Amino acid sequence: MKTTLLKISILFVVLIITTLTIVFTKDDLPVIRAHITDETSTLSRGEIKSIEQMLDDFERESSTQIVVLMISSLEGQSLEEYSYRVAEKNKIGKKGKNNGVFLLIAKEDHKIRIEVGYGLEGVLTDALSSQIIRNIIVPRFREGKYFDGIKNGIEAIVAVTKGEYSNEDSGDNRSFFSLAFVIFFIIFFLIFSRILSLGKRSTISPHGYHSNYPWWGGFGGGGFSGGGGSFGGGGASGSW
Amino acid sequence: MKKKTIIILAILGGIVLLVLLLVGWMTGIYNSLVKSDEGVNQAWAQVQNQYQRRFDLIPNLVEVVKGYTAHEKEVFEKVAEARASVGKLQVTPEILNNPQLFQKFQEAQSQLSSWLSRLLAVAENYPQLKANENFLQLQSQLEGTENRIAIERMKFNQVVQEYNIKVRTFPTSIIAGMFGFSQKQYFQPEQGTEKVPKVSF
Repeated sequence: MKTTLLKISILFVVLIITTLTIVFTKDDLPVIRAHITDETSTLSRGEIKSIEQMLDDFERESSTQIVVLMISSLEGQSLEEYSYRVAEKNKIGKKGKNNGVFLLIAKEDHKIRIEVGYGLEGVLTDALSSQIIRNIIVPRFREGKYFDGIKNGIEAIVAVTKGEYSNEDSGDNRSFFSLAFVIFFIIFFLIFSRILSLGKRSTISPHGYHSNYPWWGGFGGGGFSGGGGSFGGGGASGSW
Repeated sequence: MKKKTIIILAILGGIVLLVLLLVGWMTGIYNSLVKSDEGVNQAWAQVQNQYQRRFDLIPNLVEVVKGYTAHEKEVFEKVAEARASVGKLQVTPEILNNPQLFQKFQEAQSQLSSWLSRLLAVAENYPQLKANENFLQLQSQLEGTENRIAIERMKFNQVVQEYNIKVRTFPTSIIAGMFGFSQKQYFQPEQGTEKVPKVSF
């Protein structure tokens, strides 16, 4: 009698968990393509660009990925859960280092959270994250200065996490890759134009080359792709 | 005579081959069970770490709150009581195979959770305390730890689910039964953490 009850309850729990996993995997969580995403159109293009540049530079230098997402509303979801799921889904931070930071702002809910990857929990502690929210971001948000709040908040995060990790691989590879690509392209272009000029007309407009993919960002700046980082619920939440 | 020995040898060889295959197959399953089992232990250790972290935070937090709210005695006593009963718990991985112990563990921890949230609710009534930087820091640490606990519990349940499926599905279940791999306990959704216990003043 007791064992059947136990079995039924176990079955029940398993069922709940399976449905939960299904709910969790079948999500409509945002896919992040830039270091800063503003779904509320609060920030101007120039403001977004300057923050994107700052975060991209910092990633190049330190490999640490800081990502900002501003949404209008959580639509009743819990801030902590949503933030964790978005950060995990987009794999913010580098694999093995887990050095991702996710700054989530729910504008209409007046809620904010800094989600800290496993690898940065030691420097960007809960207490420190909470201080950054309370003393730097919230006062500015209260005055409606969203750009200042985000920018200064990020500056604080950068200051804290600076030196914790360095970019020993991807940066060099990237510049090597781009250099090789440029050389290859020039050679290819020369040969190609030579072949064409063998024909009658030799009107090749040298387009130069520019990336058409905004998320790739050419070789200049911007764009984000997750590096495989993992989170464990560290960080802090706040409201204004 | 010669034919007979050949047949016997062939049968023997066949049996040996079969046994070898069987042993190989069993070893594979056994190893995968061990791996899953270790995975569960590791996830449990993570949960445990976070609970321990919270456990260690409490004295400091209580100390700070006490400085401002001297006459909220009951909450302090209850928190101390709940913390003590958590401290007495046995937390070896063995607990995962014992439904009663596991239940006790959960109850004690959730009891502590509710008294802690009560403690923070009390703090809400004291503006001076709420402005104290030290208190704010401890509060954010406690909140962060609660959040980590929730996430580690979720991860733990996922790992246990994988393990339990292995232990219960055929044919792995045979090997599991032979070597004493039993089903492990899940964390039930936390009840009553939001419900703050009533205190009479």
